[in-house]
Amino acid sequence: MHNRIEMMLTFAVPIAFFSIFAVIFGGGIGNSTTPKINVVVVNETSSQAGDKLIESLQESPGLRFKRDPKEELSREDASQLVRHGIVTMAIIIKGDDGEMQADLLADASNQVAGQVATALVSRALMIQQAEQSQLQSQAFANNLQPNTATGPDADEATSSTIQSESSGVPDPTLSPVTIIDVMGDGKTNPVVSMYAAGIAVMFLLFGATGGGGALLEERESLTLDRLLSTRLSMDELLLGKWFYLTAVGIIQVSVMFLWGQIVFGVDLLNHIDGFLMMTVVTASAAAAFGLCLATLCKTRGQLNGLSVIVVLAMSALGGSMVPRYVMSDGMREAGLWTFNAWALDGYDKVFWRELPVAALWPQLTVLMLSGSLFLVVARILALRWETD
Amino acid sequence: MIATVPTALEISDLRKTFGSLVALRGVSLELGRGERLALLGPNGAGKTTLIRCLSGRTRPDGGAVTIDGQDINEFGARDSLGLVPQEIAIYADLTTRENLDAFGRFHGLRGRDLKSRVDWALQWTGLADRAKHLVGSFSGGMKRRVNLACGVLHSPSVLLLDEPTVGVDPQSRERIFVMLDELSQLGTSILLTTHHLDEAQQRCDRIVIVDKGSVVANGTIGELVEQTVGRSRLVTLSIDRPLVAPIQLDGSAELIGETGSETVTARIDDVVVQLPALLESIRRSGYGVSDIDVSSPSLHHVFLHLTGRELRD
Repeated sequence: MHNRIEMMLTFAVPIAFFSIFAVIFGGGIGNSTTPKINVVVVNETSSQAGDKLIESLQESPGLRFKRDPKEELSREDASQLVRHGIVTMAIIIKGDDGEMQADLLADASNQVAGQVATALVSRALMIQQAEQSQLQSQAFANNLQPNTATGPDADEATSSTIQSESSGVPDPTLSPVTIIDVMGDGKTNPVVSMYAAGIAVMFLLFGATGGGGALLEERESLTLDRLLSTRLSMDELLLGKWFYLTAVGIIQVSVMFLWGQIVFGVDLLNHIDGFLMMTVVTASAAAAFGLCLATLCKTRGQLNGLSVIVVLAMSALGGSMVPRYVMSDGMREAGLWTFNAWALDGYDKVFWRELPVAALWPQLTVLMLSGSLFLVVARILALRWETD
Repeated sequence: MIATVPTALEISDLRKTFGSLVALRGVSLELGRGERLALLGPNGAGKTTLIRCLSGRTRPDGGAVTIDGQDINEFGARDSLGLVPQEIAIYADLTTRENLDAFGRFHGLRGRDLKSRVDWALQWTGLADRAKHLVGSFSGGMKRRVNLACGVLHSPSVLLLDEPTVGVDPQSRERIFVMLDELSQLGTSILLTTHHLDEAQQRCDRIVIVDKGSVVANGTIGELVEQTVGRSRLVTLSIDRPLVAPIQLDGSAELIGETGSETVTARIDDVVVQLPALLESIRRSGYGVSDIDVSSPSLHHVFLHLTGRELRD
């Protein structure tokens, strides 16, 4: 009863995690809607029916159009947007007025979006075709009435409409929507790298906070006093620990990905440049975070309690436990305040999207800046331990 | 002209206050080269604050400290200082050699110097055969020796030891003092705090007693006895029944003993002459003596005389 940290861990942690997961899977407090899918659309039909279909899709609550559909966009451009993760899916409308179809250029790592988008687009196509059939039926009926249309042109129109109608009836055995995976072609185990990164980053944070705790142990055993009475300064001590924790983190993540390559087919060797850049920066930022958290606490016990809460919360929000694509927009935005989200986005670009290393600059910049900030904060907090 | 050799450590008017608590009220003392000085005082007297000020862990409010004639705040001056804290401030999950190697590096040793000092320390501590063993598996006495060795790897001219033998068995204490004697013979000046008065009396050249942040006595054990309780022996006599009234000594107006007490105490300067007279006075008063204890003045008496408290108070 006297150990407040233990009490907090017993009651507060389960409540905190239940709340986080309830918000993730509930899409928000008291709201159980599926998160919107970011899409672009390419109209290859250039027909009125195509435009109408797009208008219908725009009204769908499950889709968010990231570009104005009137903008010129080629299939290749749309594919690139998906590859870069700017949108989750590109809807390519093709075919003629009578038999429209849609290709969904998808990122197969988002298994939920593919299912939802297929359903929404299929429904829109069905409605569109049904409406068109109805119009054609009405036109056909009107044509049967005297004086509505006469002459050879009218006959021609009628026969054409019938042709269209007969071909426009959806064949229940053939889906008008085809999902084309623009990411996972030729990949033996496409999503395992994403999970490898998620777990690696979470344990990197646990390792770093545990390592940072050595500083508190040294302080509690008065070894820190002794160290600071030697030639060693606090700057050197913190930097030394930071280098050590960074090196351990790099080895930890490398071993994990190597295991992933050997056992689960993660293609590490062909992405070694991006992997090393992300791993060095992520490990160094995690090490700085661990030191920052350690200097924030007074005792090892405090650090243990705080690190469990902070690391697990960051991992849940940042996508280490649950893919971020299943989260609501608000949660995804909140996730960007976590360390994990940026690190995972970087690994995602390297292993899944296979983008060139230049595309990693936002993630590398954010992680480097946050790492530097954590180090500065740790140094300022450690001032209180230097002299009485 | 012969240059005078400066003292190893000179502390002048050192002052430190923590809020409303005055920890040091102008402490001044000197430590000669190769000298072993015991710093005594009750808990809260200011010993640890003094050690922390010297090691740079606490910034004093005023006063001056010089090591080998150099201001302690000058760059590199503290390299001449070795610190052995009361706590076992070493790494339990490293081996003896790894600990020595790490602390040697922290003290600025590199390469051959480091290796030769680590080898020397392993021999000095008698732990050469345990060089590759984890310190965490050691006994308290062995850990104390490693703790001590980590503070002297850089051959400091002044060694500060805060309770170096606390919690160790008599054999290990003896071993540690043999090690300290070796250092002293090599010219290292030693300033140690201790709660063992016998250690201070027998193992140190000089004793400084601090109380309430001030130096209350400074000198050899003989000098302190002379200055305080004097050379007289304390005689304690157990008598066969409670005193009815204080006893008057033969040939003197002095009264000894308290009514109702079964013991009588008195101070005598000459045991051979005065003790028989004392016994005769008691016998003539009608009491029998069942036991006699004659004790010479010790540091314990000096300490009690000066501070009015036991050392553990």
